[in-house]
Amino acid sequence: MKRIKGMSLFVGRLWSHKQGKIGLIMVSVLILVAVFAPFIAPFNPYDVSERTTKGLAPSAKHWLGTTINTGQDIFSMLVYGTRVSLVVGVTSGVCIAIVGSILGVMAGYIGGFVDTLLMRIVDIMLVIPTLPLVIVLTNVLGRDFWIIILIFVALGWTGLARTIRSLVLVLKNSNYVKAAELAGASRWHIMIRHILPGTSHLVIMSTALSSAGIMVAEAGLSFLGLGDPTAISWGKMLADAQSGGALLFGAWWWILAPGLGIFLAVFSFMRLGIVMEEMANPRMKQTSGVYKLFRSLDSSYVEDVLNSMDDYQQIGVGRPLEKGGATHGTNLEA
Amino acid sequence: MKSAYVIKRILYSIFVFAVVITLNFFIPRIGVDDPAERYYPPQGNMSQIEYEIIKQVTRQQYGFHVSTWQQYLNYLKGLSRGDLGTSFRPGSPAVIDLILERLPWTLVLSVSTMLIGLTIGVLFGVVAAVKRGRWQDTMLLNASTVMVALPSFFVALILSFYLGFELGVFPAYTDSTMVSSFTWTWESIARVAENAALPVMSMVVGSIISYAQGTRNAVIAVTNEDFVLTAKAKGLKQGTIRYKHILRNSMLPIVTSLGMSISGLIGGQVVIEQVFNWNGMGTLFLAANNSNDYPLMMGIMLLLSGFTIFAILVTDLVYVLLDPRVTVGDKR
Repeated sequence: MKRIKGMSLFVGRLWSHKQGKIGLIMVSVLILVAVFAPFIAPFNPYDVSERTTKGLAPSAKHWLGTTINTGQDIFSMLVYGTRVSLVVGVTSGVCIAIVGSILGVMAGYIGGFVDTLLMRIVDIMLVIPTLPLVIVLTNVLGRDFWIIILIFVALGWTGLARTIRSLVLVLKNSNYVKAAELAGASRWHIMIRHILPGTSHLVIMSTALSSAGIMVAEAGLSFLGLGDPTAISWGKMLADAQSGGALLFGAWWWILAPGLGIFLAVFSFMRLGIVMEEMANPRMKQTSGVYKLFRSLDSSYVEDVLNSMDDYQQIGVGRPLEKGGATHGTNLEA
Repeated sequence: MKSAYVIKRILYSIFVFAVVITLNFFIPRIGVDDPAERYYPPQGNMSQIEYEIIKQVTRQQYGFHVSTWQQYLNYLKGLSRGDLGTSFRPGSPAVIDLILERLPWTLVLSVSTMLIGLTIGVLFGVVAAVKRGRWQDTMLLNASTVMVALPSFFVALILSFYLGFELGVFPAYTDSTMVSSFTWTWESIARVAENAALPVMSMVVGSIISYAQGTRNAVIAVTNEDFVLTAKAKGLKQGTIRYKHILRNSMLPIVTSLGMSISGLIGGQVVIEQVFNWNGMGTLFLAANNSNDYPLMMGIMLLLSGFTIFAILVTDLVYVLLDPRVTVGDKR
């Protein structure tokens, strides 16, 4: 009951924020479209008998025209494509949030061997180019829908884990955690009850942002013809458009529709994520107007956290140094 | 202190590379008992005996007849001689030769994208930082939110459609004779530039915006430093402060971000090369994937990862050696 109340409070706060309202509306529309796809789409793109004249331009009957090679209704394909994008994006985003936060909290709080091991894994994943690795893994493990999600999660948790770890290193030294330790609470109790809630704003924000990122990645993968071969997805629509001669015959609707579909979906999730970060990070509110967005797009918040860390120099040598760091002198003018 | 750090950093890079090599060796062996099965999956019309014979030949040819541990040692031994393995293509060409053939063509795209993106991006970023909060800055912000959500291959398709097919300004996809007929003449080079125009354009938009954002943030961070205030208090001219104090100091983080951006650039290029059918490593990689040519795939992966490790190492070291503010070690 308490959970539900907290959740509705959170949505309410999002709703009262102008940008947040837009993001919420866009995401809800996307979800509705995905759920009610068969009722919204005038044709069933999977049904071979419902294919019509090939290469029709947009009209009242076919809002976004038809494809050149198969005569499928593009609007219906677009509507059905929402499903793949959303399911892959959101499922991976949620799983990444769960895995990333658990591993990040463990690395930060337990420290020692666990920390070293996890951060070494993060370092290694950082140097292997992601898209080629995803391609190799789909080749080895298969291109099933769930396997693709699994691969995205396996490769996507590192960034969040690293960020959460740095936040946990700060939280670890806070008084309420010290108090819990002195009261004799177990490590797991402290991690779940005291540390994890403190990272929740980062986790929620990253769910929205990594969902957006995964949607782009999924579109790229299906564009290369390496997604789930049976599903209609926006990336695959673009690939079909290219191989089906949309460019050659000037069928601009066939290219624009799926491209803008990807854009709108990614954009609305990103917007939601940015607003969430802004709400959670009060320091961002003090800066005026557009910087709020800017500050959240770069990793300056993460850097703020990193700057206040003790072992900054161990991970952060390659990062831009800002003032106020504890371990490096800023006596450049001397 | 610094030299100790440099040695530590180099040793760590070697460690990371060793792990990547090991992963590279084991990834194609996931899920099958016998690597020969992965390399030659059973065909439909093949009898059991025929398949056994083929697997036996494959084992001999690619050295799978020894134990996994011995194979791993052989792989390492080969790598130390610069041998990345043998491709499954007809004629069994060496992987390294196939890669070297494509490498210059890939570099044409990535290096020009990086140079153009860096130049324009830094320029835009500085302007946005100086005009903080005004329309120039807002525009960069809006452009960056839009660009992050626009997949590069969609941009590539749009460019190919309008500039290539509709207007005919640039070739909509790569001329297949470009590579085979290449000579070191101006005519030939101009032809490469013409063919590279659209791929580079579709990648450069995103890279301009990311460099511009990085530059903007770096410049603003330096502007807030105390020494800039001191310079102002000393009564130095605005221009002097801007160029000598702010810009110089904000270039370091930008150089560092170069190292990190290389991996993303190369990964993203795979898709762009595919859109334009560019004769680079990306299309080589995809072709290898389609024909299950694992030695070739892993060779490309290894090269790209090694390159990224090297780039990150170099930028890190440059940063440490150049920036007087970075002190390494436990000086408190």
